[in-house]
Amino acid sequence: MSQPEMDAQAGEGTGVASQTDAPVSTEGPSYLTVTKTFSSWAFTLDHKRIGVMYLIGVLFMFLLGGMFALLVRTELFSPLAILTPFFADTAEAQADLYNRWFTTHGAIMVFLVIIPGVPAALGNFVLPLLLGAKDVAFPRLNLGSFYLWVIGALFFVYVLFSGGLDTGWTFYTPYSAESGTAVIPALVGVFILGFSSIFTGLNFIVTIHKMRPPGMTWFKMPLFLWATYSTAVMQVLATPVLGITLLLLLLERTLGIGIFDPRNGGDPVLFQHFFWFYSHPAVYIMIVPPMGIVSELIAVHSHKRIFGYTYIAFSSVSIAIFSFLVWGHHMFTSGQSTTMNIIFSGITFSVGIPSAIKVFNWIATMYKGALSLNTSMLYGISFIFLFTIGGLTGLFCAVLSIDTHIHDTYFIVAHFHYVMMGSGLIAFVGGLHHWWPKMTGKMFSEFWGRIACTLVFVGFNLTFIPQFVMGSLGMPRRYYTYADKFEGYHQLSTIGSYVMAAGFFLTAFYLIQSLVSGKKAPVNPWGGNSLEWHTASPPPLENFHNVPDATDPYDYENLEYDAATGNYETKKVS
Amino acid sequence: MNLLVTILAQTEPTYWLPEAVSNFAGPVDRDFYFVYWVSIFFLVLISALLVIFMWKFRTPPGAHAQSQRDHHLLLEITWTGIPIILSFMMFWYGYRGYVDMMTPPNDGISIVAEAQKWAWNFSYASNGATIPGMSEDLNLIRDQVRSGELSAEQAVAAEGKILEKAGLHVPMGIPINITLMAADVLHALYIPAFRVKKDCVPGRTGKIWFIADEPGIYDLYCAEYCGQGHSWMHSKVVVHETVEEYEKWLEVAGSYDESLPFEENGEIVWKRRGCISCHSVDGSEKVGPSWKGLFGSNRSFTATGTPGELVANEAYIEESIRFPMNKITEGYPPQMPVVKLTEKEILWVTEYIKSLGQNSGGAENPRKEN
Repeated sequence: MSQPEMDAQAGEGTGVASQTDAPVSTEGPSYLTVTKTFSSWAFTLDHKRIGVMYLIGVLFMFLLGGMFALLVRTELFSPLAILTPFFADTAEAQADLYNRWFTTHGAIMVFLVIIPGVPAALGNFVLPLLLGAKDVAFPRLNLGSFYLWVIGALFFVYVLFSGGLDTGWTFYTPYSAESGTAVIPALVGVFILGFSSIFTGLNFIVTIHKMRPPGMTWFKMPLFLWATYSTAVMQVLATPVLGITLLLLLLERTLGIGIFDPRNGGDPVLFQHFFWFYSHPAVYIMIVPPMGIVSELIAVHSHKRIFGYTYIAFSSVSIAIFSFLVWGHHMFTSGQSTTMNIIFSGITFSVGIPSAIKVFNWIATMYKGALSLNTSMLYGISFIFLFTIGGLTGLFCAVLSIDTHIHDTYFIVAHFHYVMMGSGLIAFVGGLHHWWPKMTGKMFSEFWGRIACTLVFVGFNLTFIPQFVMGSLGMPRRYYTYADKFEGYHQLSTIGSYVMAAGFFLTAFYLIQSLVSGKKAPVNPWGGNSLEWHTASPPPLENFHNVPDATDPYDYENLEYDAATGNYETKKVS
Repeated sequence: MNLLVTILAQTEPTYWLPEAVSNFAGPVDRDFYFVYWVSIFFLVLISALLVIFMWKFRTPPGAHAQSQRDHHLLLEITWTGIPIILSFMMFWYGYRGYVDMMTPPNDGISIVAEAQKWAWNFSYASNGATIPGMSEDLNLIRDQVRSGELSAEQAVAAEGKILEKAGLHVPMGIPINITLMAADVLHALYIPAFRVKKDCVPGRTGKIWFIADEPGIYDLYCAEYCGQGHSWMHSKVVVHETVEEYEKWLEVAGSYDESLPFEENGEIVWKRRGCISCHSVDGSEKVGPSWKGLFGSNRSFTATGTPGELVANEAYIEESIRFPMNKITEGYPPQMPVVKLTEKEILWVTEYIKSLGQNSGGAENPRKEN
């Protein structure tokens, strides 16, 4: 053991993590400029480049999935066919088209955007940096999982060009066993994406176990790592179930084996059990990493220690555990036994508790903090508000008697958009802004950032609050046309989606503009103290010029702001 | 609490919930508003804290926090404990209401609701009559109102005319037991005003029950995605004021006017028994072959059933109705459910198909090349 490591161990023993106090070297090429050939990107083993490639892919898919959302919302502006007649002649073909649009929107957003968004794109970039490591534990596996994602995405592109998919993203049988659309390529695509997800999860688990720097014990890790770790465990344990389920469905479609289709002696409800055994944990695969981001955003931009560290850490772990025990609440009206519904309803409430704990701890972190209300922080605060609505409306769905009424209505649609998009994606965008200077070395326009965040926030609520109301009034989901009494709500919702889209396009515009003419980012523009803020922006190829010791990620007292450079510098600790 | 219950147990629609007209509506709405007010309380609390903190603690870059306090045991216990207690209450209310929904009484009226792509059929145990949901006709009225062909009053009248022989009819004040079935894929029976919903699963039977509280006409939807016609698959529930009125209706609605010409009764069968959702009569493309010009045309069959060819005659039509999987016309999916028609209904339908133009053994079915 070398001397610095021994020192770090000693520091750990006294409960004080040693500070990395040497000035950060910003000389030498960054990971972006060290090599410039195409193959140096295509065959890179650098987690940062893989993260950036994931990010580009995920953002492109977000654009695609978002376009389908806008098509759906535009069509629903009126109960009459208004957009589909441009593409299809008969009323039947128009309804088919609408079904393809909402299916494509859902499948792309879930499998290609939200699930890989935070862990694979942002997580890949940030995780080794947070650990002070050179890379993830298995760089080749990491590149492999990226290419699996690409292949999975290509299957979806193929689906788009071969007649689309109309089963809904859930592939419910027996409809998916008989649908004439491109179900098989879509299943293969999701199957491959599953492996991408498993490999990423496995990689992160090993990285967090084996590559923490000297002095970083489990309870000194940044909370984002706790969240990614919990997520990785879920990915590794749950995704194989999805794989095998889709494989069975594939066999059913191709060979006519009766597993889920009652005409061949199968059971459609069995498919729902299998599907949600994965897809419920998947909901938390989509939301727990964003929660981790928000823990970082709120603490850093409040310049205050995160409140209730252990409670937040354990709530991530308990959400991961409970997430495996609540899948049945997607099936309250499917005809499964009364006893089972009661048990699932009870356990479902237990997921609400750790979520509530997190929200209150984030708010307590803001109390008496020094809040910088910049774009990332605004996204963080938006997250708390939207997640509160998403979580509270989840209570309605967990109460059996109420769920009987609101199941499969727009209430559910609004609820899961508040959780998946209003929380998951908003935190992703917040995290993107938070780490953008580190990734690109450029600062974006705070002015436009705040305006875009406001547009997204207002647009989002305008889109989905009317959906809660029309849902509880009895508007079923996945409807191409609807009763006239719901028209007003749908129109508000559609207008909201345009406002939100404007916000996202504005975001794309100023972020791209920052790449071209943004101010050069300092090492530590926000005043964070986790290890990624102790290296150059953008970091060099192997992240750190000197292997750093662990810092206390939530100790902001030794940081001094330099208004000239916009940098927070670490004061020397004697 | 009693006052609150009285206020909430109203039949008029509120801003959040539709009219409440069954024995379950009151309890469900009470649970809904309990969770609603708890949620509003926490949403207001959290939003207020966020806004106050954003205002009060906002600082320019470089400022240091006033405090670095990072834990407070009592606070953690409070905000863990209160949600746990509230969760238990919510779970308990939901459980209580749900168990009632799942415990049908032994008496009452039994009706089978069978869903198929994309129609409802309601069979009444007392006289065996099957009454269709008539989604197509109800949709037509909706379209005509939108295009201005029908005024609102005319629409009500036209709808009333259709519902004389269509829809789910129940008497007020008596338990109604509905057995749910599906012929092809998943569907779900959803009556918002009654707060009842359950999936119709092929190969299984499901049950719901309710007591309707107010006479009137209420919406009935399919709530589980079932493909192309999902959003067209709605019908109406008609609540009669007395059992006598209901029984009188059932006797009339369940019968055909046998004095009508065969093909006219055939057209009624086509609409009433759901043939309309897959078979057009004007040659337009639907899930199944159009009936226009079908009689006497050459049919060729896929290997899914018995392969081969023949000219469509009476026997072929009867076989196709009774055993739809026996002969599958080339180019069409093997999806037709078994709809149990009576001898007379089959006769009338056959005559109706004949009346839609006959071929003298020449025409090919349009999708043969596919």
